[in-house]
Amino acid sequence: MATLTPTLTLVSTDATSDELNFSVTDELTVKAPSQSISTVIATATGSHTIIVPASTVIAYLYVRHTGTTNGSSSTTKQVDVEFTTDEAIARLSAGEWLFMPVYHAEADVGVQLHVQHSSPSDEVQMEYAFFTKS
Amino acid sequence: MATTTATVNITSQDLTPGMPLNINASSTLMQTGTTTGLELMDIGAGQLTQASGTDALHEALGTLDTANYVYICNNSTNTDHYMVIGIHDTIMGHLGSGEWMFMPWNMGDTDAEIFIEAETSGTIDYTYAIFKSTYTLPASDKA
Repeated sequence: MATLTPTLTLVSTDATSDELNFSVTDELTVKAPSQSISTVIATATGSHTIIVPASTVIAYLYVRHTGTTNGSSSTTKQVDVEFTTDEAIARLSAGEWLFMPVYHAEADVGVQLHVQHSSPSDEVQMEYAFFTKS
Repeated sequence: MATTTATVNITSQDLTPGMPLNINASSTLMQTGTTTGLELMDIGAGQLTQASGTDALHEALGTLDTANYVYICNNSTNTDHYMVIGIHDTIMGHLGSGEWMFMPWNMGDTDAEIFIEAETSGTIDYTYAIFKSTYTLPASDKA
């Protein structure tokens, strides 16, 4: 087992007259399997890019849209983070990210990435990591 | 125009021997395809009980395919207390005591409300923040 420390900071100096500035952190105990920070090319076919294998466990999932097709060429294509049952969790635009504990109510369902409104040749480079809750 | 920056930092010293983990990502919360910041915010705190069943944290009354973000934190210190988080009839995840989540939320249609539910007895304190591009106020029942 290992300890994972995720911290979120939200800051705005001009959203309201009362400045927004808060931070939240937690200490999570995680176990195998895990996938450290990685990149993958998402395509228009979700089943080609499964980033969390099917299981019945809770996985802390981080996903970021790099805004590129391959690390250099920019793209604004949105990418759905979805269960392998095609149920959508979130839609990421260029530069956006998410962190959350994913869990599907049905057994043996994973998480995949799916480029939206795309032709078969559209690709987006995504960054991700997941850690299994102990 | 409002500029809000969300930053995540994920670290671990013992996940992989000899190779500390340090993930850092930051994004400025903008309205879709623009450099205009999000100016609509709902920030608050509440309590959930198992008896209250499934509650809509926020209705999907924005505009289709616009940028919105959701932050939810389970503030309970009881490790038996966890919250079920979902969109309409899809469960997305379980939020344990002390855990938080942050994600973009696409109001794809009106059946895309964020729901929360307590799965254990007792009272769960939670906090949340929702940043929105647009929002249509619900109709009044005023006669």
